[in-house]
Amino acid sequence: MKTKEIWIKSVLESTNGITQVAPNVALFSKIKLKIKDEKADPKTIWLVAASILVLVLLNISALRTQNFSSQEKKTLYLSETLSQSNQLYQ
Amino acid sequence: MQKTKIDLNFLYQTYNLLVYNVALQYVQNVEDAEEIAQDVFVKVHHSLEGFNQQSSHKTWIYRITVNQSLDFIKKKNSQKRFFIFGKRNENEYDYLNASSFEHPGIELEKKEEAEVLFKTINTLPENQKTAFILSKIDGLSNPEVAEIMETSISAVESFVFRAKSSLKDKLAHKYSEYRKNKK
Repeated sequence: MKTKEIWIKSVLESTNGITQVAPNVALFSKIKLKIKDEKADPKTIWLVAASILVLVLLNISALRTQNFSSQEKKTLYLSETLSQSNQLYQ
Repeated sequence: MQKTKIDLNFLYQTYNLLVYNVALQYVQNVEDAEEIAQDVFVKVHHSLEGFNQQSSHKTWIYRITVNQSLDFIKKKNSQKRFFIFGKRNENEYDYLNASSFEHPGIELEKKEEAEVLFKTINTLPENQKTAFILSKIDGLSNPEVAEIMETSISAVESFVFRAKSSLKDKLAHKYSEYRKNKK
């Protein structure tokens, strides 16, 4: 058999008798931690949802107040610019 | 809930070596194999209640490990491509052959040849790679490999045959490089 073929054969058979390697002893603790981290506390979820809702409501009410006051300002400006004496020609 | 915890513990004790070693054969990196093993058992934990017993726990865990390993390699390669703007390879060769790896479970005198073998296995298409690893390295029977890969026994035979002939061709090309390094 040629040396090339011998080499190819030895490479292909190099994993014969491979032994299993043990993972790090802390692996299972890491897995349990990962599972625990993935689980969000339902109380926290509700708290976050409630906070978002309050923020949205506050924003809506702030926008409404702003719109109302700008309307008021416009009316006030118009009333001030109107002639007070009802006399159109001076 | 308590049942799931006990089962996960039992499954980990029974299959941690299997999961870790299969992952190691795919990624040839101790840290990455541990990351895959973590993801596999997290997935097992989430899917345990929905497990329909159509296949054995062993086959089910093998399947999750193979898929998780292949996904991990794809993710690493796409991250690498994103940074170097490289073009996509057919067989996810980039990330795996970036550094050399000596498998801790291989006899000292065979380590050099095994490194060449793993580097060449990484150039195979996914199906051939999986069939070769499970059949020739893990020593599973063709029906077992077929069940894990969810394919027919004849398809597995074909994958293994094609993998072996492709490996022989590629190794024949690598032989001249090997001789140069030996001189």
